[in-house]
Amino acid sequence: MLEELRKTCRDLLEKGTVNVVIGYGQDDASLPAYPIFVTRPEDADRLVWNDRCFANLVTYLTKPEVKALGKPAVILKGCDERALVVLAKESQIDRGQMVAIGLACEGVGDPREAKCLVCDVHQPKYCDIVLGEAKNQPLPAERRYADIEELMKKTPAERMAFWREELSRCIKCYACRQVCPLCYCNRCLADKNQPQCIDTSSTLKGNFAWHLMRAFHLAARCVGCDECTRACPAGINLRLLNQTLARSAEEQFGYRSGIDPQAEPVVGAYSLQDKEEFIR
Amino acid sequence: MSEIISQEKLRRLVGEWIAAGKRVGGPRRVKSGLVLYAALNNAGELLLDGFIHPANSIKEFIFPRHEVLYSYRLEGKKIALGEPEPLSAEQIVVGARPCDAAALPILDHVFNWDYRDPFFNRRREMTTVVTLACTEHDNQCFCTSVGLAPDATAGSDVLLVDLGDGSYEVRFVTDKGRKLLAGQTEQSSKVGQVPPGPEPKLDPKDIRAILDGDFDSPLWQELTLRCMGCGACSYSCPTCHCFDIVDEGNARGGVRAKNWDACQFGLFTQHASGHNPRTVQGQRQRQRLYHKFSIYPAKFGAILCTGCGNCTRNCPVSLGVLTVIREAARRIEVKSGKPAAATNT
Repeated sequence: MLEELRKTCRDLLEKGTVNVVIGYGQDDASLPAYPIFVTRPEDADRLVWNDRCFANLVTYLTKPEVKALGKPAVILKGCDERALVVLAKESQIDRGQMVAIGLACEGVGDPREAKCLVCDVHQPKYCDIVLGEAKNQPLPAERRYADIEELMKKTPAERMAFWREELSRCIKCYACRQVCPLCYCNRCLADKNQPQCIDTSSTLKGNFAWHLMRAFHLAARCVGCDECTRACPAGINLRLLNQTLARSAEEQFGYRSGIDPQAEPVVGAYSLQDKEEFIR
Repeated sequence: MSEIISQEKLRRLVGEWIAAGKRVGGPRRVKSGLVLYAALNNAGELLLDGFIHPANSIKEFIFPRHEVLYSYRLEGKKIALGEPEPLSAEQIVVGARPCDAAALPILDHVFNWDYRDPFFNRRREMTTVVTLACTEHDNQCFCTSVGLAPDATAGSDVLLVDLGDGSYEVRFVTDKGRKLLAGQTEQSSKVGQVPPGPEPKLDPKDIRAILDGDFDSPLWQELTLRCMGCGACSYSCPTCHCFDIVDEGNARGGVRAKNWDACQFGLFTQHASGHNPRTVQGQRQRQRLYHKFSIYPAKFGAILCTGCGNCTRNCPVSLGVLTVIREAARRIEVKSGKPAAATNT
């Protein structure tokens, strides 16, 4: 598949279909593959594809520095593709002005990442070019959220103790926000300092304020690529927080973000069938 | 002759220090796959081997990520100011890596330059650092490239060297260290051997040459395009020391505090007018390298990097001092057809 991928990218650059290919490169096997920006056809051979291609490259599509390079092609896994679908739905990208190259994925990491164990999007569906074949196994919703079941079995006090322990380690480096494909705000609420909306202090209060605010902004939007969890230098399991809200969106509104480009986003649509139990 | 201490005895001492109300910190496995320098609740938590480098640095004990400078309370028309409790308990950091300890004397410069920072200095005085020489390194380690070594003693009060038989050779560096372990060591004929550190991976002189070259080179933007703009590198760096001063509270009271800040954030250089002199990430990355290898050495005669490799290990896209400088050296060589050092002439 790698040769096919390189050839495809070389062709896109040679024909001038795109100006840059955003893909993965690797020169130190002890480190994960890292994002590279290929602008010359002869450099397409720098591209790699393996189970250490963690980064969600969709994040770069909204960065001004990358936009400045011109029309992009971007290499995507199935989970990354979900973010692309959401960005298009939220009018953040012009799908006609880019090429999405989807790669069949068997999972990343050794052992596999938590998201890969419950993945049902191994095969990208909405990309312009798809390479390779993988089986998308349908996954019952209860298995999809198996990770949070253990947590939800705890009492509210125990859950609070768990989150206090996790969030006390936050150092406010904002890696979670920076790697997130859906955290594209030009100015994050946490950076609004006239007056300061969210405490910048990495105290328990400031950390709870930050992570809860971010989680709510990602409710029914987060696609579960888990880049925030992978990027966190303090090892905070943000996946659990995001999954909790993703499950609510699925249970309450039958909506999974980025799965169906035709579906109206929960936050952006109103339906008479919407449950309003939360208003009581 | 040398002085030695058994690991068992060391752990017993750690337990005694904790019981005596001292704040003891060291490498601790906080969860599966994550080792951090953290306060120890008991001696069993102290991790002495089986990892390369904690994901943070010991600067947290001297320069915490959040430190209250003073508090205020409004009562009617009266304003009551409160001083924070001065740090009274002695701190002991055990099992520090030599590259973390070495950062402390480097930081002394900036915290005692035009203004002597009482908060930093108080913590520094109250802290004893017991370092453990490294027996292993990974591809990201480069202490030997910045004048350090797996058994460097800079910043340490005591250096322990693993003897491989459940005990350590104790090398006293300062009186503070001698005092901490007075009467606790035994005389021995054993002398610890430290395996060689990582092969030198870059030469600070070459880096200076690169940095003294073209400031506006498009190379910076090109090399660091993948930077996501978070603060993971700076916050896990033993030497990065930028902070912001913030007021937090409400109409009744609050605190003025010192919080870590990082040059990788766009907001870091945002002026009140709205103007930002560093508009793209490449400029912010360039700043980080200039500060470490050019500005700080020119001002204080010390490189602001100890080669711990934490920036690369913690970066979501594996971009650190080592990766950027190496790639810059390679590119400049490619472009000029000359060794990187020659670009200075």
